[in-house]
Amino acid sequence: MAQNKLKILILDDEPIVCKRLKPSLEKQGFEVDTFTRSFEALQAVQNTKYDIIITDLKMEGMDGMRFLQEAKKLHPSSEIIVITGFATMETAKESFKKGVFDFIAKPFNLSEIQRVVMRAEAKIVGTRG
Amino acid sequence: MFPGLQNLWQRLFKPPRQLVAFPEVFEHFQNLLQDHQQIMEIIADLGQKSGGDYVFDRKYLLDTVNELHSLLLRLVKGLNLISGNRYVELYAALDRILLPMEAELRGRLTLPEEWPYVVRFKEAPLDLPELVGGKAEALMEISQRLHLPVPDGFVVTTRAYRRFLDHNQVEGRIHSLLDNWASAKLDTMQVSRQIQYALLAGVVPQEVAREIRREAQARPFWAVRSSAFGEDEELSFAGLHESILQVPAAGVLEAVKKVWASLYSPRALSYRREMGLLGEEAAMAVLCQEVVASLASGVAHSLDLEAPESGGLVIYAYPGLGRMVMDGRADLDRFVVGRHRPFPIKTQRIAIKEHYRRVAAAGGEKEELVRPEDRARPTLAEEEIQNLAHCSRVLERYFKRPQETEWALDEHGQIWILQSRRLTSPQPMEVPDICESCSAYPVLIKDQGEVAHAGVGAGPVFLVSSNEDLGRFPEGAVLVTRYTAPWLAPAVPRAVAIIAEKGSPAGHLATIAREFRVPTLVGVDNAEALLPAGEDVTVDTHNRLIYRGRVAELLRYEFIQSTTFEDAPEFRLLRRLLKRIAPLNLTDPQDSNFTPAGCLSVHDVIRFVHEKAVQELMDLPRFLKRFKEARVCTLVSKVPIGLKIWDLGGGVDPAARCAQVTVDQIRSLPLQAIWAGVTLPGVWSTEPVAVDFKGMMASLTRTLSGGLGTPSYMGINLAVVTETYLNLHLKLGYHYNLIDVRMDIDPHHNHIYFRFVGGVTDLTRRSRRARLLADILSKYHFKVDIKGDLVLARVLHLPQEEMRLRLIALGQLIGFTRQLDMQLKSDEDVGHFLEVFVQRLEPTEGSPSLQGGKNGTE
Repeated sequence: MAQNKLKILILDDEPIVCKRLKPSLEKQGFEVDTFTRSFEALQAVQNTKYDIIITDLKMEGMDGMRFLQEAKKLHPSSEIIVITGFATMETAKESFKKGVFDFIAKPFNLSEIQRVVMRAEAKIVGTRG
Repeated sequence: MFPGLQNLWQRLFKPPRQLVAFPEVFEHFQNLLQDHQQIMEIIADLGQKSGGDYVFDRKYLLDTVNELHSLLLRLVKGLNLISGNRYVELYAALDRILLPMEAELRGRLTLPEEWPYVVRFKEAPLDLPELVGGKAEALMEISQRLHLPVPDGFVVTTRAYRRFLDHNQVEGRIHSLLDNWASAKLDTMQVSRQIQYALLAGVVPQEVAREIRREAQARPFWAVRSSAFGEDEELSFAGLHESILQVPAAGVLEAVKKVWASLYSPRALSYRREMGLLGEEAAMAVLCQEVVASLASGVAHSLDLEAPESGGLVIYAYPGLGRMVMDGRADLDRFVVGRHRPFPIKTQRIAIKEHYRRVAAAGGEKEELVRPEDRARPTLAEEEIQNLAHCSRVLERYFKRPQETEWALDEHGQIWILQSRRLTSPQPMEVPDICESCSAYPVLIKDQGEVAHAGVGAGPVFLVSSNEDLGRFPEGAVLVTRYTAPWLAPAVPRAVAIIAEKGSPAGHLATIAREFRVPTLVGVDNAEALLPAGEDVTVDTHNRLIYRGRVAELLRYEFIQSTTFEDAPEFRLLRRLLKRIAPLNLTDPQDSNFTPAGCLSVHDVIRFVHEKAVQELMDLPRFLKRFKEARVCTLVSKVPIGLKIWDLGGGVDPAARCAQVTVDQIRSLPLQAIWAGVTLPGVWSTEPVAVDFKGMMASLTRTLSGGLGTPSYMGINLAVVTETYLNLHLKLGYHYNLIDVRMDIDPHHNHIYFRFVGGVTDLTRRSRRARLLADILSKYHFKVDIKGDLVLARVLHLPQEEMRLRLIALGQLIGFTRQLDMQLKSDEDVGHFLEVFVQRLEPTEGSPSLQGGKNGTE
């Protein structure tokens, strides 16, 4: 059972986002790592393959858009969910062009993101099976 | 100046204001209503966000405050456009409310000039850790919210500290010393010594010293403790700063300085550097508390760290003052107690005590020998142990993490809470595979309802449907109810979780649940049927699940999470912002503080603007001038009150001839419903009612003296309508009735405001009638406030059909009250009339939700 758990990476420079998401997703049965700095998250994806990546867009240093491109390059099958407080049509379009699975505007409630993660999980399990 | 004179003065010497043309007024009024609505929604939304179900960051708060700012500016401008700039002072009110919020959002430690240097413990406002520091804030929450006994005293605020720095001009020096330290030009000891010297040599400014001395006089001795800003669940600073016990009143001022200086002790400096806090502003409040002459003292751990799964809590105790405990100098009694009522003692280990410390007669402490016969005696009696266990659990439930609580027992057997902080385990507790563990428990309810306050709680289910149930509600139970009625409030602090079948996360009960941090789900269909009374359940709002049984793994999992969301900086910030946004202080337009200067919150501003805008429209002389342009008609009805209808759009059949409108031509939903009630058979009785002699005399006197209010309102009954809106002014007999209704398809927009005042007869009778109205309205789930003979009632966010039923009832109530005051001869009559009224209503309404008395909604 434990080996089959999907791995999720969360990257958001606001620690509150990581702190709130981690326990709620762990309870859904995922293994969750959280990062508040993009370069640390990048190191993590270089070493580990995450099934689902949840990332903010606007961050200091490397921004989310670049991070997700790098992550996709390393592991094209990772599903990426973008969460952002600067939700515009432009950013949404651009993220989808980059192959993002879904796009959620902040603030969101926990059940909203739980649902999106479950859809991503279904897709991953479906393509595997 | 005398108001009448002032009016005269203004009329004589001021040029007459330009009356704004009607079409313009109409447009501004519509926009104003929309902005008002939007602000109300933002307020409700922010309240809901503070419940923990939403993930948001600081940017969201910034955006929302900016949005509020622009809406408020537009709203105030709108009112001034309607009124010909009569309310320009509102701009100053906006600055007063919004500027501190914006400073707060910029992350500055803002200490407004008007904040006090010293506050009394019991009177200090909550949720202002930047004023009183982390330790005092926590103790104040324990005292004011949880009502556990905390030694009384006062707080020398961070504002006093700042004033002290300014007065002695040391801030610049501190910064340059810290810079030198950061660049390794000076070592920690040097920097610490120099800063501390500068502070200890400083002079406390007169205005601060005076206040400290005044408060310190109250007792001979004080415990003077540090309460640093920024010290909280995450950063405990435990033991880093000075705390001085047994300080004589005359020495408090010096002790306060020592505590201030301890902000820069070598250990505190190193800690702040390690935590990356050097850039943050440091500020120190000082907590001065009376000294408990304790017979026994000790520490309670709400969880037994040696056996976290055993379901025990631990109480350590020792005779005398707490120093023996804190210094770890003595072997302590150790009691392991069950975590649930009746808190059975599972094991106890009694230490052999040789010495203890007590308060010396001349102040200070004194060490004494324990009498031989007492050496092996337990320090605490069973009842005291259970009492402590209860306190420990209450603290754990509120702070949501295992607690380490310092306590003292005084000579009267009273337990005092000295401090409570998070209990951290020496080794990391084992993390269970939470998903797997939880899947072993049967799920009773899944994915239902909305989260009013987030969290996890477990306990036996207790259904509450009456006042009697409320009285019996046990500590630590899960409150299950049909409606989130405000009358449930007393049970909230005792509940571990709340589940309601109906209600809104923006409602009053949700607000209370958030204040006491009780996990709450509302809108859970069939909860009463699905949750077995008396059986244990576990509620997890984060994943909207309710399990059968106590999911111990889940409870432990929650315990080991780092911070509770309630203590996260974003949530603290939101709660502070909400204090300047949500409270409604201006409830009564007749009050002398119902002015722009009286507006203390965003809610006050919009309440004021709404009231004045409506008033502006209703101001009779001006209104009459606007009549010519407005589409005003008279309602033709068998109830002959000559109601004038001003249709702002969609409220009246367009085919109607303007001068007169028949009842069938009314398109305004709220007016239709009210009129349906007024015209029900038997409601509008036109026969004169028997007037007893006393009542009649009073009535005559009032008539002769001109009655109350503006005489020009006499007999004018007005309804301003749209399809979904009604603002109804009625002057029937001598009472004045205002009903404001919005009745959209989206329940969130909906409200009924009801205001009733005045009437014939003496004040006793009028307040008797007010009580009767309040009783009737409460039966219809209105939230009612009575002030003398003024009745204010409101009901919010109901769907159209529920609104309609209540409006029909209000229509009947209008007819009923018309001559009611003549008939209410004694207090007993109130009950009688209530019965008559409710009976009379029953055959006419079809909704079961209107019956059954106690169930309320918000």
